[in-house]
Amino acid sequence: MKTANAGATLASVVFLKIQEFARRPVQEQARLKAQLEAVVAVTTAELAPASRIVLDAADGAAIVVLGDPKGALRLAERALAATAAGLPLCVGVNHGAVQLAPGGRDEDGMIGDGIAVAASVAEFASPSRLLMSRSFRDAMADASPGLESGVFPAGVFTDAGLRTHELFSPDGRVAERRRTRFLALSVTAVIGLVGAGVAARVSAEGHQKFVDGVVVKIRQTIAQGEKVLGDVIEIVRWQRRS
Amino acid sequence: MAKKKLTKIGRYKILGELGRGAMGIVYEAEDPALDRIVALKTIILSDDAEGRKEFHKRFFLEAKAAGKLTHPHIITVYDFGEEDDLAYMAMELLKGIELRARMLKGPISTVEAVDIAEQVADGLGYAHERGVVHRDIKPSNIMLLPRGRVKIMDFGIARVRVADHKTSTGVVLGTPRYMSPEQVAGSPVDHRSDIFSLGIVLYEMLTRASLFAGADTPQILHNVVHVEHVPPSRLNREVPSMLDFVIARALKKDPAVRYQDTYELAADLRSCLAELGGRKRTEKDTDGDQDVTKTVKLDVDTEKTRLAPAARAIGSDTRLPLSRQFDSSAALRRLSAPTKRDRDLLARPPQSVGLLRRLRNDPGPRLLFIAVLAAALVGSAIAFG
Repeated sequence: MKTANAGATLASVVFLKIQEFARRPVQEQARLKAQLEAVVAVTTAELAPASRIVLDAADGAAIVVLGDPKGALRLAERALAATAAGLPLCVGVNHGAVQLAPGGRDEDGMIGDGIAVAASVAEFASPSRLLMSRSFRDAMADASPGLESGVFPAGVFTDAGLRTHELFSPDGRVAERRRTRFLALSVTAVIGLVGAGVAARVSAEGHQKFVDGVVVKIRQTIAQGEKVLGDVIEIVRWQRRS
Repeated sequence: MAKKKLTKIGRYKILGELGRGAMGIVYEAEDPALDRIVALKTIILSDDAEGRKEFHKRFFLEAKAAGKLTHPHIITVYDFGEEDDLAYMAMELLKGIELRARMLKGPISTVEAVDIAEQVADGLGYAHERGVVHRDIKPSNIMLLPRGRVKIMDFGIARVRVADHKTSTGVVLGTPRYMSPEQVAGSPVDHRSDIFSLGIVLYEMLTRASLFAGADTPQILHNVVHVEHVPPSRLNREVPSMLDFVIARALKKDPAVRYQDTYELAADLRSCLAELGGRKRTEKDTDGDQDVTKTVKLDVDTEKTRLAPAARAIGSDTRLPLSRQFDSSAALRRLSAPTKRDRDLLARPPQSVGLLRRLRNDPGPRLLFIAVLAAALVGSAIAFG
């Protein structure tokens, strides 16, 4: 497994940061770390082993997810759910360049802007909150169009290196509202277009003629329906007799 | 002082010399009033009258503070005074070995190291509670006594010496290898500086490595301020991971995130000791049992392994180590020897989503499109049919 030829690749990075880790008593630090490991074990189990790399951080963990932004988002959301079990997490997700650390040994770990930005994003996240960078939102949109509509802008943040990050936060209600909007638009379009057709016909033929035509059409349709129904009844009777 | 042989200082009768330091000599002396043998620490006073006055004031203030410290893990100060060009302090005479000498003699077991650090932390906690900061915690200021007892030496004197040199020359003296970053920076120092120094001492006992070693003093001071330590468990397999956390917290460069209370450090060290004690008993209990399953630690190249940084400290060139709890080898293989499909997938930046892809994959716009299309057809049929 030589790493010498491995260049930078683009991957999604989920950074799970334990809040205020350094300020906690050591016994609590040990307990929270063990709890985090359990959360990572459960959440990464959903991903193929060839799609995820788990990295250690002093106050959390970073999971590099290869070629699966949707899986990365699911992992982040599931990990965040662990806050309900007493693990105080902030989650930052980014999509960016990562690479194996130069040195020729796998134990060397990984480096890259993708990891650094994910860590910065996690730093901005308030307790029990998930934030994602614009690049991750774009990667998510590319992988599963429409999925990005479930996030809303959380603001623009500047990190210690004076680099600004446009961040987003997922919200199920945003996606629900969008679905409702599209449904309403569809209904409006149907009513509008059918109504426009009717209006065009009425203006061309006049109101009475259009109504008469419609009545005739309805009668014809009913007659056809009765005929079809009669035929069906005849077939059923014939089948019973035979 | 070296020219004439001293026979008496104050009321103390000099019996012999115990050691020499940069600031003076430590004598074995007899207190005839109480018929007690003491250690008499002397400090040579400045010739400059103003400097001497200032020193005098500080020395007595500090010596008084140190004299109030009565604790099993702190050397007892009996008396202090001044005679001619010498200030002196009569202290309990300890028969033991300095930690520094003990460390040179051979490795210290993890249990012993934690036990020593716990006793020192306990003593420091007592002093800190009374507003006394040592400022020069280092192996040569820790005395190991028979039956595993430990005493901290040089309370008060250390502070006077440092302050003296700081005011007269603007340079902070001390033992660079055991200084805290705030001491190096010349910032105000409080009890958390002692915690940092004790963290270094514990680290060195556990690993036998010189933590902030450097070719010269500026290099050492630079290391104190900037170099992060390798977790001791990576250098000594006997060290439990909880001790990694304890040391990491004691060695935080920022005092605000370090242990805020030395008793808290002592309590954590006691927990480690309990854990180590349990482990020790288990080893003893299972001695000779050939079928016992043993835990095998991974062989890690310590030269290459570094402490994982915290989120705040991660830059684009900061290496995050692979977690040893999870097997990431399959993904690493994929990265180091990617297939053509992987090369395309993992090197391609996100593309903007075109209309056709959007209609095909996004349910909202797809519904709208189908509805518009169907309604347009029906509307056309009504209009022109």
